[in-house]
Amino acid sequence: MADKALRAHNIKKNQPAVNKTPNEKIADVLYWFLRGAILANIVMLFFPAFNPARLSGMINKNLSLFSCGISYDSIVGNFGRAFRQGWILEETFKTLNLLSAVIILAIVLASAGGCMSLGNRKLKKLGCIFSLAAGVVELLAILGINGLYDDIVDQARASDKISRVLPQLPYINNVFIAVAVVFIVISVINFILVPKEENGEGFEMEPKFKLFLMMLPAIALAFVFSYLPLYGWRYAFFDYNSGETLSMEKFVGFKWFTQLFQNAATRKDLITVMKNTLAMSGLGIVTSWIPMAFAIFLSEIKNQHFRRFVQTFTTIPNFISWVLVYAIAIALFSTDGFINTMINSVSDANVTTNYLMSNSHSWLKMLAWGTWKGVGWSAIIYIAAISGIDQGLYEAATVDGAGRFAKMWHITVPELIPTYCVLLLMSIANILSNGLEQYMVFSNPMNRETLQVLDLYVYNLGIDKGLIPLSTVIGMVKSVVSVTLLFAANGVSKAVRGESIV
Amino acid sequence: MDNGINLGGSKKKSANEVSDTTTHIKLAAGDIVFAIINYTFFLIFTISCIFPFYYIFINTISSNELVTRGAITLLPKQLTISNYLQIAKVGDLWTSVIITFVRTILGTALMVFASALAGYLVTKKEMWHRQFWYRFLVITMYFNAGLIPWYLNMAMLGLTDTFAAYIIPGVISPYNIILVKTYVESIPGEIEESAYMDGASYWTIFRKIIWPLSKPILATIAIFGAVGHWNSFQDSLILNANTPELYTLQHRLYIYLNKSSNVGALASGGDASSIASQMNTKIIQYTISMVTIIPILCVYPFMQKYFEKGLMLGAVKG
Repeated sequence: MADKALRAHNIKKNQPAVNKTPNEKIADVLYWFLRGAILANIVMLFFPAFNPARLSGMINKNLSLFSCGISYDSIVGNFGRAFRQGWILEETFKTLNLLSAVIILAIVLASAGGCMSLGNRKLKKLGCIFSLAAGVVELLAILGINGLYDDIVDQARASDKISRVLPQLPYINNVFIAVAVVFIVISVINFILVPKEENGEGFEMEPKFKLFLMMLPAIALAFVFSYLPLYGWRYAFFDYNSGETLSMEKFVGFKWFTQLFQNAATRKDLITVMKNTLAMSGLGIVTSWIPMAFAIFLSEIKNQHFRRFVQTFTTIPNFISWVLVYAIAIALFSTDGFINTMINSVSDANVTTNYLMSNSHSWLKMLAWGTWKGVGWSAIIYIAAISGIDQGLYEAATVDGAGRFAKMWHITVPELIPTYCVLLLMSIANILSNGLEQYMVFSNPMNRETLQVLDLYVYNLGIDKGLIPLSTVIGMVKSVVSVTLLFAANGVSKAVRGESIV
Repeated sequence: MDNGINLGGSKKKSANEVSDTTTHIKLAAGDIVFAIINYTFFLIFTISCIFPFYYIFINTISSNELVTRGAITLLPKQLTISNYLQIAKVGDLWTSVIITFVRTILGTALMVFASALAGYLVTKKEMWHRQFWYRFLVITMYFNAGLIPWYLNMAMLGLTDTFAAYIIPGVISPYNIILVKTYVESIPGEIEESAYMDGASYWTIFRKIIWPLSKPILATIAIFGAVGHWNSFQDSLILNANTPELYTLQHRLYIYLNKSSNVGALASGGDASSIASQMNTKIIQYTISMVTIIPILCVYPFMQKYFEKGLMLGAVKG
């Protein structure tokens, strides 16, 4: 046991103490270039613009090398006719698929080598072998792809269909060759520069890098799904239609930004949309005390079983989707819904009002649905806060002759105000985000005008109508305003309460 | 207290008893009026939360002929399960149920594992630039590029019209990572340290110590994650609009709610045209709604005790 502990202790302590030879210091610098090249190579793998396997204009231009490697069908999606007519051979594209997969494999290998470069000397040496192998494999594969280009040209020429097959050699292939060469050169140099590990130690890595590498997949996913979309903001500055590629000729600067205000139709839309957005958010803020009141009055109920019953069932609506809320709305308020059925069964009238297909009080109806869905859930946090209030306060107030409402107003409410303020500030920061689903499911031709909030407008504009630049601009402005509001709310909170909310 | 939802109930009760005995005589009449109003209000509101589900349910188990006539209001009549048997024959509904089930299980499992591991790792001070990477993850909660750039990004990554689009983006959830981190920090450091001194690797410590000890918080995020997956609608609508075989259940329900006045909408399910002749639009909608909601109602009783932990707003600190 003591031996093991000693070993663990040594692993933790002795690594940074190893003196680095001058050669090793050079190797450390070179390693940053290698890691940079690997990272760049990984990025290229996923960007359709950098796809070396797009050897024909017929291959979908939104295909990345990664898709080409994992799915043969995606490469030959448009090739049915070309194969049947014998313009080109299926074999060629099967090889292309295989070579793409080989490049993916090489990049995986290189990544492993890059990770190993963070370890001790022995691990570094192994890492060099990995990245060397990766470089060689990648080089061969990319040269193979270049060879396939010649095959395709020959086949197309033989069948006289060059203008249909559109063979092309993407310039990015040269970059891939360069990257592969970088892999090979640096790996070989570093293999020589890194001294041999003495006294037969095993593969080791400093804990700080070990932990970092374990964290790396999470960091990569966060980057890809949360940071990478910011790259899409570039569409705001281009004249872009779905399916096209971006080129500098289509750069239009701030055209779409000014169009928001100069184009009469867009401006009119935007004013309506902002009115709806601010109205819905405003109503939400004005009624944000309701969950607090709900909690206060609920805590006045002495019967525990009844209280539990209320809490259990008023929380359920929070857990169903807006689509289901809409299904409920249909069941209750449509032409043959519950309300009409009830009215018709007690009177002779034959009522067929469809309450959903009307534009009267749309905002209030949406507010009511929102409250119905959320109040029980939102009250939980206040109920928790109420149970934390010092009971001595109530007893003292009772002795002083305070009535029920006096105690509520002078003890419970002030105790809940801090919680309320945090939530209020959050809802102010979210003033532009009403969410999409509620307004989408409830909107119909009758009430579309009053239900179109900003999120729904962006959806309609971008996804339905395909006006990508304009909807990107709106989304950009919204994001920037939201972040600013959040910081402002945080600043207010810090100034007033000395606590930050984010 | 077996039920977490009754937060601090026992403490409260004793306090109320104290105030009861002292104010009982003076305010008796006012108290009664207040109690009646208060109980009535909460009773009515609670009923409004339950009744819609009940109403839909009794309509699906009553004779179709009576439902069509509008004869079912408060009690089911002429019980039958034929609607459910009929709806089970609709092929695309089954596809959606399976898709949604698989994504819920798989998506939740991956999310919980990733949150647990990342939440544990960010507590390790010796990590290379830990503070930076932690902020890197947390910041993503407070901004987003917007719907359209998000969609274009997914398209660029080749995740449109794929099942993976449901799973992968949701694996990393900063909020859940923070919840796990806060929880792991509350575990006494000595346990971990002694394991480390015994030569256990970080992975072993995570698997043998952190994972079992964090089960309460992992159950919380699992349950909220699963509900989120079950209710997901937007990603199906936006990313997989062209691939009906990947539609989630909520998306399918949305389509039926909007279009099933058109009987042909059901015909894609093979022998569904014959179903449509026996069931009218309303009943189809009701039955699919029930199918969508029953799983939520089934897990709901188990969820209640995790509410409080899921609401740890105070924990959200960078």
